[in-house]
Amino acid sequence: MRLLNRIFSEEYPFVLSCPALLWQFVFLYIPFAILAIHSIVDYIPEIQSYVLTSVYYVQIFNSLYFKVILRSFFLAVLTAFICFLIAYPVAYYLAMRGPKKYKTFLLFSLILPSWTSLIVQVYAWFFLLEKNGFVSRTLQALKIISPSFHLLNNYFSILLGMVSCYLPFMILPIYAVLEKMDKRLLEASADLGADKYETFKRIVFPLSLPGVYAGVLLVFIPSFGEFAIPTLLGGSKYIFWGNVIVDKFLRSRDWRSGAALVIIGIMLPIFIMLVGYLVSKIRTAYQRAAYQQKTNGPKDYWT
Amino acid sequence: MKFIRLEKVSKSYDGEVILDNLSLEINTGQFFALLGPSGCGKTTILRLLAGLESVDSGKIYLGDEDITNVPIYQRKIKTVFQQYALFPHLTVFDNVAYSLRIKKLSRDMIKSKVLDALKMVRLSGFDMKYPRNLSGGQQQRVALARALISQPEVLLLDEPLAALDLKLKEDMLIELSELQDKLQTTFVYVTHDQFEALTVSQRMAIMNEQGDIEQMGTPKEIYEFPVSRFVANFVGSTNIIEGKLHIAQNSYNVEVEGLGLFSVYTPVEKFWMIPGCRLFISIRPEKILISKKPKEGFANHLMGRVVDIIYYGRSTQYRVRLKNGQFLLVFEQNEEHFPQESIDFDEDVHLYFQKENVVLLEH
Repeated sequence: MRLLNRIFSEEYPFVLSCPALLWQFVFLYIPFAILAIHSIVDYIPEIQSYVLTSVYYVQIFNSLYFKVILRSFFLAVLTAFICFLIAYPVAYYLAMRGPKKYKTFLLFSLILPSWTSLIVQVYAWFFLLEKNGFVSRTLQALKIISPSFHLLNNYFSILLGMVSCYLPFMILPIYAVLEKMDKRLLEASADLGADKYETFKRIVFPLSLPGVYAGVLLVFIPSFGEFAIPTLLGGSKYIFWGNVIVDKFLRSRDWRSGAALVIIGIMLPIFIMLVGYLVSKIRTAYQRAAYQQKTNGPKDYWT
Repeated sequence: MKFIRLEKVSKSYDGEVILDNLSLEINTGQFFALLGPSGCGKTTILRLLAGLESVDSGKIYLGDEDITNVPIYQRKIKTVFQQYALFPHLTVFDNVAYSLRIKKLSRDMIKSKVLDALKMVRLSGFDMKYPRNLSGGQQQRVALARALISQPEVLLLDEPLAALDLKLKEDMLIELSELQDKLQTTFVYVTHDQFEALTVSQRMAIMNEQGDIEQMGTPKEIYEFPVSRFVANFVGSTNIIEGKLHIAQNSYNVEVEGLGLFSVYTPVEKFWMIPGCRLFISIRPEKILISKKPKEGFANHLMGRVVDIIYYGRSTQYRVRLKNGQFLLVFEQNEEHFPQESIDFDEDVHLYFQKENVVLLEH
């Protein structure tokens, strides 16, 4: 009993996180390290030894594969951006304006689709958009599209599937932040002369940014590696990062260039985020320095 | 002279009436306190003045201007909120500059005004800090500077010192009244703490639980001449005794069951003061003299036995049981290091008070 008490007391939070850390270490970090080693080490039969090599990376940068990674990256950015545009007003309405009575129900009905398998959701779109599907027929009947126009197998249908599948992951974190927000801050802002637009711009939006960041990450990361949606809704027209990886590992069994492909794909967003972080750091430091220089300077400088 | 006037204002939330036909007038340039128990609707009055809520019926005037339907962001009334409501993502500078930025003042103008405002609340050098790194008292001052920087005609303070400890509270009270003195802005201060209200205000209003104003006046008027049992009880502590009024040749006497006749005095005759009516009398504990030996020169004399003694430092509070079983509170100033007589539990004591110190209250 005393041991249990000690473990669950606040002195030993580390002990409690051990199972999760161990799990992550064994089933995520070790396989990932193996993958990374695979991508830079090659076995040469002639000399019967392992050598370090960058040949797989060079191969990828010189091939179409790098373009595929960039295309995936762009699709993920676009998905996250569209999700953000749609999710923010929804989350805002639910958190700030929504009728209190139906709030739980509305939230529930938003999350409900994501309880079903992704494949089922995508197939639902598939049947809606296909040539004899409900949407196509309706649009044809309304003479909005010609009978020869395909709603399926294009960039639009891929994007539609992506956005609809990942939308809840954007709405929830934004909703959580907005719901938690201290409403007195909005009153204080109005009291200080800000109308609704100014209050949104200066208070609500900046304070909801953590939720937006969380949502962007939650949408961006899975959609970057997504391969089921492009395959089902995009036909064979568009190849993405996920498709190439599946192909490398499962079909052509080219594990080493597959591994290199994975590493590059993971490094790209990390690299971009790092650059963004550094730029913002430098900017604030610069602004602060400029401000201090101004206030410490001779008083008549600004009066 | 400009003033704030609420005219027959009513407000209810979800069918529950908070304010019913309330009228109130506050002169400008004053430190005005609204004192009342929790949930009496004093905060609602503040929210109506600020424009955070709209009235169900009635009118609100600022000077001659009817501001009942002026939206909150156009009113020249600013608020210091209870928990300060500072913007956590903005520095002290940006918090204070907020209303000026909305008004789109020039950068240099904003900078000089903000630094002046911070100087006024003694927070120079804190401009680049974030609210979370400030103490309660400092956050309080930021909220003050933020509200005052746009030179409002009225500043509303909603229990601004509730979160501070006693010592800091006393310092801030002095600072607030000095600030008001300097700026001559109307301060409307809402509190349930009678000590705060008595300390800072030039005029105050007492509200009861039903949301009606019981009495308005200077702190001294309200403390010394409460008009109702509620006010006498709510502001300071007092002894309330029930009795029957006798009037003979312009001298007033109150007959209390089991204690006999008290001679009392009233500066104004009220309509209800008719011979034989039931009434309450109120005597403040510090206006009663307690002694073991008999004294001369007092209009009223009582005997009792000490049942409880609380030592407060500057004064001592005695609870004395009277002949009729009623208890009386008495404060005695602790004037001497070595008191000539010390009063102990279960001792018989004489109690004296002058007839001018008795307040007559309607039954």
